[in-house]
Amino acid sequence: MSAIAPEFRLSRFVASLTDLIFWIIVIFTLIGLPIVFITLFYIELPEINGKLLTPYLALTWMADPSRTLPIIKSLIHTDFFRISTFPGFGFAALLAAGTIYVERKFLAKMQLRVGPLYCGKIEGILQLIGDGLKLISKEIIIPAKADKPIFWAAPLLFVGTAAAFISLIPVAPGWVVADLDVGLLAVFAVIGFFPIITLLSSWSANSKFPFIGGIRALHQMVSFEIPLILSLLGIVILAGTLNLTEIVESQQHYWWIIFMPIGAIVFFTTILAELERIPFDLPEAESEIVAGWLTEFSGMMYGLVQLGSYLKLYAFAGLFTVLFLGGWNGPMVWPPFPQEIITEGIKMGPITMHVPGLPLLDQEMLNGTLWFTIKTIGVILVILLPRGVFPRIRIDLLLHTGWYKLIGLAFVNIFIALALVYAGVLGPGGLIQ
Amino acid sequence: MADAVFLAISVLTIGSAIASLEVRSMIYGSISLMVTLAGVAGFFLLLDAPFVAMFQISVYVGSIAVLILFTVMLVRRELLFHKIEDPRRRYAGIGLMIVIMLGIGTIIIGSGLKSMEVDAPSVDFREIGKDFLTYYSPALVVMGLILASAVIGALTLARREDVTNEQRTD
Repeated sequence: MSAIAPEFRLSRFVASLTDLIFWIIVIFTLIGLPIVFITLFYIELPEINGKLLTPYLALTWMADPSRTLPIIKSLIHTDFFRISTFPGFGFAALLAAGTIYVERKFLAKMQLRVGPLYCGKIEGILQLIGDGLKLISKEIIIPAKADKPIFWAAPLLFVGTAAAFISLIPVAPGWVVADLDVGLLAVFAVIGFFPIITLLSSWSANSKFPFIGGIRALHQMVSFEIPLILSLLGIVILAGTLNLTEIVESQQHYWWIIFMPIGAIVFFTTILAELERIPFDLPEAESEIVAGWLTEFSGMMYGLVQLGSYLKLYAFAGLFTVLFLGGWNGPMVWPPFPQEIITEGIKMGPITMHVPGLPLLDQEMLNGTLWFTIKTIGVILVILLPRGVFPRIRIDLLLHTGWYKLIGLAFVNIFIALALVYAGVLGPGGLIQ
Repeated sequence: MADAVFLAISVLTIGSAIASLEVRSMIYGSISLMVTLAGVAGFFLLLDAPFVAMFQISVYVGSIAVLILFTVMLVRRELLFHKIEDPRRRYAGIGLMIVIMLGIGTIIIGSGLKSMEVDAPSVDFREIGKDFLTYYSPALVVMGLILASAVIGALTLARREDVTNEQRTD
């Protein structure tokens, strides 16, 4: 007799199994079969290519690549795909997640540490998944005297605003979620929401350290928004448009960073301040105010804020690429799609398969995406670099830098752009087109 | 579609405007003020003026609402306002609003605005910019001078001589 289940009887076990099977059959006959009959008799099934689309036929088509590929191709060109996957959220979230891992390894190598090492055996590549699972499974703790609606809404609003920012960045020719005529102004409008969300979330936690961090974040973001906007006006003057796609197209022969290095430097500095990265990480200064405005967040709420801030990092790096580094412009290095697959089909032994609609994405788009991604990753690495090198600066020096030096430099940049336009070098009717 | 959106934005804007006056918590009041200002931006978007809408969001929601929020959070309420609970004031305010609205309404109906074209193409903001730099350039210069003098005046008012800076500034 077994010690684990002393009351075990094989006959009872078999009886319970047959009982279960009996009830399944009864329920299926009484409820399941009528539902199937109603579906087949009363719902009009579509007729495609002279055949009735029965559920069986639909299942067959799902496994057939020559029929599924056109469906996927039409899906790729829907708005839903753009918003959720390619130039929108999915692509950005993938890059942002990669950034978190790369940042840790990159800083570790810079400081002669090893960084994440054990998770995933090879250089800790599964560390991110482990961290994500940990954040999802953690309990969300809300301070007792917090203002609950705002406290709950703040991380969602933060991610939502970052996603709205991403939707304005053009990745490849024609591949942008929202191609606005006033794209750059929309960027400024979206950036304006971050200090509000930061301040509200820090206030709603009803705790000292978040509030100090939030006030610091507000000071920093509001004062660096002005040089940010001013440093980009030079490009608007030279390109003659506010549309981000047209700004990229205006850089086919030369990048704007060649003519406006001062603007690029000012914009890069303001990016660091807006993203609260070292040397401007006063809102999150962990050695002074615990974790700044993130102190009271726990579990997935913290995870969402972290995701939002890295999405914002990607969006700002993408904006720098679009405005100063020529966006998707670059030499054509992507190999063309092999024509014989379209004309002759794929040969696998005795079988030849013709797959209609095969180049899913055209060569130009893939090449543009490749160059955009390379440049953006380069900018992200340069944004990550100061964290391993610089100390945190004092808040009065920060404000002094923002209000005096950067605004002055931004005006110098605008005057350079105006001089280039009035000297007839650039702009409409200029020497260099 | 446009009518439904217009109705939704109107309800949102007016509702949050009433809420910003009536809600007891000042933080929630300023949040609903933000919603009101964003709703006005929505009206501009409906009117085919995305340029104005984006400026409405970035200036009013992004800067002015932040300033209001900042003030409300930092200053205690008793220092800012004396609470006067008087229903007669509220009714007087509502009556005044109705009178003003009726006045503006009669003026608009009396003017030629009611016969405007509905399907006219939207004005490109580049055209507005060209007009500003050519025909209306004196107005632009005057506006620039007013803004500059306002900024300089604010800096002068905010400057305090009695506070000595003891920290190094280099």
